[in-house]
Amino acid sequence: MTIERDESGFDAPAPLGHPARAGLPAGHPTGPAVGERLPDFELPDAQGRLVNFHEDRAGRKAALVFYRSAVW
Amino acid sequence: MRDSYAKFETHGVKLYAVSYDDQETLKEFAQTQNIPYPLLSDLDSAVIERYGILNTEVSKDDAFLYGIPFPGIYVVDESGKVVAKFFHDTYKKRDSPETLIDAALGRILIEEDAPQAEGGDDDIRITAAVHGGKGSVRQGIIRKLVVRFELPEGMHIYGEPVPQGLTATQVVVNGPPGLSTMATEFPATEHLHLQAMGVDLEVWSGTVDIVVPFYARGELASETRALDADSITLEVQVRYQACNENECLLPQTETFNLDLPMDVVDVPRLGPHLGHGQREGNYDSMPAMRRLIRRKLIQNPLGLPKFIWKNIKLELAARKRRKNRGQAG
Repeated sequence: MTIERDESGFDAPAPLGHPARAGLPAGHPTGPAVGERLPDFELPDAQGRLVNFHEDRAGRKAALVFYRSAVW
Repeated sequence: MRDSYAKFETHGVKLYAVSYDDQETLKEFAQTQNIPYPLLSDLDSAVIERYGILNTEVSKDDAFLYGIPFPGIYVVDESGKVVAKFFHDTYKKRDSPETLIDAALGRILIEEDAPQAEGGDDDIRITAAVHGGKGSVRQGIIRKLVVRFELPEGMHIYGEPVPQGLTATQVVVNGPPGLSTMATEFPATEHLHLQAMGVDLEVWSGTVDIVVPFYARGELASETRALDADSITLEVQVRYQACNENECLLPQTETFNLDLPMDVVDVPRLGPHLGHGQREGNYDSMPAMRRLIRRKLIQNPLGLPKFIWKNIKLELAARKRRKNRGQAG
């Protein structure tokens, strides 16, 4: 893989235009807005236990991170 | 995030991370990387899609990449309402864990181990500190230069606009080439109308935090080559003028120098990331990669050949650019 520097000045081990480097287009929506309640969801964790986000945090503050992948 | 988990716990902030990886991958990842918070498996990207953050720049024909989100973070209060969210134009820009805790708590907590320097005088205290990750510098990771004024009762400093003759508070950050600063964050000013003089002023009093977020570009810190240096120096210039109701002190300029450590990046142990002088993952993610490709191949059998073809075209274009640059240079 060719290493290239993008227009923002960042280096990555993939050529420019590669979908792995795809950024957020200007003006693209980014989900729930400040002030809204995050939508409910339930997903399995690494142990296979079903976690319901709002139930699990049990009235505590939380940070919910959406990341690309733990693989690559 | 892992290294700051204890801080989240201390401040009562729960931490969750969602990706489209399978459970087995997350289990391996959590075990080998000692991740203490829940890694949730959104295998078919249903939650990512429902949240409206599916990366639509990646096509279904991009094989194993399809299904990733635009990376971002929501911080919610006790009732589950979003109090802050963090999305950037490029996935390379990422916020420090401490920024999330600040958002949850609604204040900036400068830690003892943050690189910092003090200035001011007997009355006015000024602290310049780099907040987040002990001030360490990595490509794209956003740290915050915080200039904190602690003003005595009755004294204030000025925000823009200021009438002629007065000096607005200004913070300028100078770093080595490849350091980018983002828009300065000022707190809301109090409006002050001096009837006798017929002027309107925008002022701050008490404790005032002025924040300049910054990050390193590839020129300074890259994940695709070894670091050039162990540390960098950030020069912070602070200009201000303090007044109370009766008198104004002369405008002051103070300079702070902060030494920041450069940090090696953790990269997955997969072909494209290896051999660049960075900290390679201590587990082989190739089996997880094969599972991921197989899973996406079942959903879209033509995706893989199309993706490989696209890769070849992109590689060829990159080589051409390199050749042209070589000729031009």
